[in-house]
Amino acid sequence: MGGWRQVSGGWGCSGRAGGRGAGRESRGAGAPAPPAAELALRRRLPPRLPRRPGDVYVNMQTDFKAQLSRCQKLLGPGGGCAEICIHGLGLAINRAINIALQLQAGGAGALRLAANTSTVPLADGLEPQGDADGRPPLAQARNNSAIHIRVCRVAPPP
Amino acid sequence: MENFRKVKTSEQDSPLPFPDLPPGVVEMKVKEGSKIRNLMGFAMARMELKGTRQIVFSGCGRAVTKTITCVEIMKRKLGGLHQVTKVHYKTLLEVWENKDPQPDGQVEKLTVHKNVPSICILLSKDPLDPNEMGYQPPEPRDGIGSLPRETCKLKGMRGQGSDRVCSRVWQCVVTEAGKG
Repeated sequence: MGGWRQVSGGWGCSGRAGGRGAGRESRGAGAPAPPAAELALRRRLPPRLPRRPGDVYVNMQTDFKAQLSRCQKLLGPGGGCAEICIHGLGLAINRAINIALQLQAGGAGALRLAANTSTVPLADGLEPQGDADGRPPLAQARNNSAIHIRVCRVAPPP
Repeated sequence: MENFRKVKTSEQDSPLPFPDLPPGVVEMKVKEGSKIRNLMGFAMARMELKGTRQIVFSGCGRAVTKTITCVEIMKRKLGGLHQVTKVHYKTLLEVWENKDPQPDGQVEKLTVHKNVPSICILLSKDPLDPNEMGYQPPEPRDGIGSLPRETCKLKGMRGQGSDRVCSRVWQCVVTEAGKG
């Protein structure tokens, strides 16, 4: 499992020609950018984040119930996790909060939530289509908001 | 449900989840359609005043992402802000009305209670209780959003197929980040 893989579309996803990123300022190459129609926007994966047994990366592709039951299994008896950390990026923030609150509601007051927010730097690639004549792909950096919710049974140590 | 249309949505007022706030604290209620530049224009102007020590951002449903983005922008611009994040459900009351009136002329109404995820973030210039759930200390000034160079390169190399191109893009970005 590749962390944020599904959230951002994965390595192999094909971008749109002249997509929304094409009109923006492109960085990463000295040569002037080719016309917008020649570029394909490829959304890349965010940097890989820690993957301990208790880390759950929420995405919008997987079924909500499946992700919720995975968290319940981790926290339940035999799951082996005293606390788990639910991460959500961009659109998946809502779902991450929802999962955490559902866990808390089903935990009969035994679970506590500690939410932290952060910014994740992402890099999109703008690849020339067709005859690229050796031009290096352009890169575009942007940021997205993320949430990390720690779900633990008792008050965590400071 | 297709014969019904939503006629009214009302939020149930819930007090802020931060107990000891001074009266008159600025609360930014972020909505789905709010423009970040409008929100930040107002919020930054208030936070730049000496007298304003704290500000609260709140949003529910599809505005949660925007709320977090606003907070992240403000933390980056001002620096040294202590943060406490609280998540909870907000109850929305929706009234739905039947489009086809009943034979006796009455309109059938439905009231729906909806629970939507909601977030409340307190930003403070003064230190807050670090033992509180959801507390985040201020980020060190130089370390915001930057990853060690080595790890970035490694990350770019993984994957199959078009990995050669990908790693080139990554390195490109890393070099840019390193310069700035």
